[in-house]
Amino acid sequence: MGSTLDQFGSQTTFADAGIGAARTVWLTNSMSIISLVILAFVMLVALFAWRSTGGGRVWWIIGGGIVFPLITLSVLTVASATTLRSITGEAQPEAPVIEITAYQYWWDVVHHSEGRSLRDANEIVLPLNMAVTLQLKSNDVIHSFWVPSVSGKMDMIPGRINELTITATKEGRFRGQCAEFCGLSHPLMAFEVLVLPVEEYAAYLESLDEDARDAVTPQQRRGKEVFLTSGCTACHAVNGVSENGRLGPDLSRVGARASLGAGMWRMNKGNLAGWIADVGDMKPGAQMPSYNDLSGPDLRAVAAWLESLK
Amino acid sequence: MTAVDEPQSYSGTRKGEPDKTIEEVWAQPTGLRWWSSVSHRVVGKRFIYTGFAFFIIAGFLALLVRTQLIVPGNTFLDNETYNQVFTMHGTLMMFLFAIPILEGFAVYLIPMMLGARDLIFPRLEQFGYYCYLFGGIIVLSSFLFDAAPDGGWFMYVPLTTNAFTPGVSADFWLIGITFAEIASVTAAVELIVAILCARAPGMSLTKMPIFAWYILITAFMIAIGFPPLIIGSILLEANRLLGLPFFDPTVGGDPLLWQHLFWLFGHPEVYIIFLPAAGMVATILPTFVGKPLFGYGFVVAAVISMGFISFGLWAHHMFTTGLPILSLSLFSAASTMVAVPTGVQIFAFIATLAQGRPRMTTPMLFVMGFLFIFVLGGLTGVMLASVPFNWQAHDSYFVVAHLHYVLIGGMVFPLFAAFYYWAPHITGRMMSERLGKWVFWLMFIGFNATFFLMHVTGLRGMPRRIATYPEGIGWDRLNLLSTLGSYILAAGVALFIFDFIRHLRHGERAGRDPWRAGTMEWLYPTVAIGFNFHAIPPVETREPLWNNPNMLGKNAEDVEGVMRKMHDGRRETIGCDPVSGSPVQIVRLPHPTFTPMFTAFALAVAFAATIASAYFVAIAGIVAGLLGFTIWAWEPSDSGVTRDAGMGYVLPVNMIEKRSHMHIATVGTMLVLYALLGSLIFALLYLWNVYPNFAAQTAQPNLLWTGLSMLAGLVLLILAMINRRVAVADRIGLATVMNLAVILASIACTACLALAIQRTDPWGTALGATMWATLGFVALNLFITLYWALFNAARKVTGRVGAGQSLPDFNLATYAKGTAVMVLITGGLFLAATLGGLS
Repeated sequence: MGSTLDQFGSQTTFADAGIGAARTVWLTNSMSIISLVILAFVMLVALFAWRSTGGGRVWWIIGGGIVFPLITLSVLTVASATTLRSITGEAQPEAPVIEITAYQYWWDVVHHSEGRSLRDANEIVLPLNMAVTLQLKSNDVIHSFWVPSVSGKMDMIPGRINELTITATKEGRFRGQCAEFCGLSHPLMAFEVLVLPVEEYAAYLESLDEDARDAVTPQQRRGKEVFLTSGCTACHAVNGVSENGRLGPDLSRVGARASLGAGMWRMNKGNLAGWIADVGDMKPGAQMPSYNDLSGPDLRAVAAWLESLK
Repeated sequence: MTAVDEPQSYSGTRKGEPDKTIEEVWAQPTGLRWWSSVSHRVVGKRFIYTGFAFFIIAGFLALLVRTQLIVPGNTFLDNETYNQVFTMHGTLMMFLFAIPILEGFAVYLIPMMLGARDLIFPRLEQFGYYCYLFGGIIVLSSFLFDAAPDGGWFMYVPLTTNAFTPGVSADFWLIGITFAEIASVTAAVELIVAILCARAPGMSLTKMPIFAWYILITAFMIAIGFPPLIIGSILLEANRLLGLPFFDPTVGGDPLLWQHLFWLFGHPEVYIIFLPAAGMVATILPTFVGKPLFGYGFVVAAVISMGFISFGLWAHHMFTTGLPILSLSLFSAASTMVAVPTGVQIFAFIATLAQGRPRMTTPMLFVMGFLFIFVLGGLTGVMLASVPFNWQAHDSYFVVAHLHYVLIGGMVFPLFAAFYYWAPHITGRMMSERLGKWVFWLMFIGFNATFFLMHVTGLRGMPRRIATYPEGIGWDRLNLLSTLGSYILAAGVALFIFDFIRHLRHGERAGRDPWRAGTMEWLYPTVAIGFNFHAIPPVETREPLWNNPNMLGKNAEDVEGVMRKMHDGRRETIGCDPVSGSPVQIVRLPHPTFTPMFTAFALAVAFAATIASAYFVAIAGIVAGLLGFTIWAWEPSDSGVTRDAGMGYVLPVNMIEKRSHMHIATVGTMLVLYALLGSLIFALLYLWNVYPNFAAQTAQPNLLWTGLSMLAGLVLLILAMINRRVAVADRIGLATVMNLAVILASIACTACLALAIQRTDPWGTALGATMWATLGFVALNLFITLYWALFNAARKVTGRVGAGQSLPDFNLATYAKGTAVMVLITGGLFLAATLGGLS
């Protein structure tokens, strides 16, 4: 499926791709309409009052200022509480757990499945029509997890674990973004949510458990060599190649992701090469240093190898 | 008490200028000495002009923001600059424009509306202005050092701790803004006392102009609402400078503690901004209907209840932080309920329209604009109170739309109404009705074009505080249109500035009461005399100019009233009973002086030096500030005589009893200090609750020293009571001895409390650090008690305070009692921690 980059409507609350979003959007629409009606009503009353000289009445104040608000607000409170309950009530103790830790400016994703901890980054794959529990954490400052088409948001606060239950109800790709100001590249900290039918989701989990795809062409083999000898392994892990680096995103499936740099650029060799050579320019404040003294062939080789890791 | 009676030796006369006329005594200083003016009219105008300057700067920053967002992927501003620009836009608007400019109007109008010659503590108001000015300059100067704050106007931790914001940008915010906040807090105490103690004869609380009620409640809200932010800022600055781990989860701190403290301030803050503006509407609207405000009692009740309710809503800014469901539900319900007192006010305004035939003038246009925009903002606010909706809309452009609707609709539009309405009062000339209509429509259309679409932008998924956005996902056209709207809004403001400057020379001269208003600030022909009233008239109704034919029917200087005669060559005004408004004292007022400015400047040096890490200079600044306060207050007492105020009233000067304005100010100050202590106790209980395992790791206070500290607190309490009794009985020598006893007791309290937690490592756990912070605050109060007692003793020994002039000790006793209770509370908490265990 194509990336959500420049896909109109991939990041909107007017959607029903998840239970959270679907059950909220009716509240959004009805409250909006009622608000505009009330505004019109108040302005009409004001216009009437302007033209009248019969004097004000106490019942206007009591009716308009006390009784009417109390009634509408009570209805609203009940409607909101019921909606909230129906959303949070979806939480299930046996639901699969996905632990997401936010960093400045990327997302570490760990799927817990059958006793295994399966690590990925920046792209969050969800099963269709199955509730999952997201355990949201932060490694540094406060971030917020928001994929509006699927669910409301939840903050990620260092020292805490916030749980958010998500049930995606539509297949496809949806865009999310960090929703709490987190520093220099806060506008460049997005992510993609990929919703797959349950069998494909299970296949995805299996692929996380396997070694990364082998380097096939000479260029890819050269690229793997450069990866191993340029210090990349200090931060990045690739299953079956080097598994100790956990400071940066896991790259075992990086080529399979539709976007690069936490949902910001299309995944292709060119962007990969540009990223490695000058990440500081693309994402100011990122922790990754720019590898701007790799030779041209080496840079292209690394990019080719990473792109092949699907 | 008439222990001091001869006019020549009476200290009040020595401070005055007995050979001058009342006009000369009240004359404004000229030339450079104009900066030493303490007149509320001058200081009020300074607040207004300075506030407006910050409005223009912050508005320009907003235009930069909108220009950056006009197209996706724009490179007009880089990320770092954008973050500084939006942070400073919010910071300048909220702290250096909104409250100061409303404060300026209150300072300018309240004495005239209530029948006073000046505010009750004119030097304090001058001091507040310079704190605001110097604080604002410090904050703005951060741009020059390329260190403008860039963490958002609410400065969330951990982003703003040293680990993620090295360098001084956060310190500019924390120190500069806290300094400027001193102005707001001093103004709050000032206005509470002025409204309660300095009203015209017969102006009971129920006969006060409605604007005074709005300002009174706002002042109480400031007194209680600002302390959580002050404490939070001090804790964060202590974290940045000293490494104290209040917010560090690895040792039991919590980033959410900052959010709680910030929003405990932040939510009342927006009502603090709204209420004075609503008070302006409540004043302006009836003038143009020609009839009194309908439902005065309802409005007063609504404002008071809003003052209380607003303190119970703060967590609705934190719905997405993982609060428990019960908290979410309670705060959600409370947040919707605040619509009730708001609705009462709105419908009272609407009902007033029906009382007569309203005249459509420029101020009225802005009032109608307020109605439309603010009501819509309030409605989206109710939407945001719904938790599931909030989980989508929080931190999106929907909130940006909401906040600008309530702030611009609820404050800026009434402010512009106030500009057009009171301009003739301030400048003596009318602004242009024709240009005014253009200004209104440009602003109204521009505002709605900018911000209405943002509701949609936010619900289409655009988060806040992003320097740029990707092309094609649905925000491009919305942002373009919003930006174009912002230029139209700016054009309206620019036209206003043009008209204001133009009218200074070419505006039509305003006569007396040009709008045919009913409140007393219009009694005199516009640009009234410097001392507001030749004689302060008694009032019987809320609209004296409409109901009393003696007011507008005569020349203003011939209106009958009290205080026509000047006494002892001194500036003075009438002091009243807080509830009934009947005259009870004559309040002496200061003449122009540079001391408050010098003191504010010393503090500015201290704060700026702290940012620059020049700690010796900072300490010198604090010492100079203390010296400034000492010189300021080092004057002979005025109490001890009675004078004839006219109309049959023979009243004591600066009376010595609980209703004394100085005593009420002491009580008001205690309110602020208790709010500060309360914020620290909140932090203690919060951290103890949220991280009990780290609480258990904190060393328990020492039982013996805790017990002794409570004993010392009790002793201080008793000594304070004895001190007052002895002073009021005119036993000067014994009172001086009691002053010294109070000093010793204060030292004992400080020592015992410190020894009680000597084993607690402030860097060990967040709870330990907070215990030391609480101790530090109580110790500061004990130091002030000590210094004040020393000061009082010195004034008695040098003869500046004699028999029959026991007001200083009267007030000291109240302060010392308050401090003693703080010691008891803190000791009690330490005792509970020791006996109950910290886990």
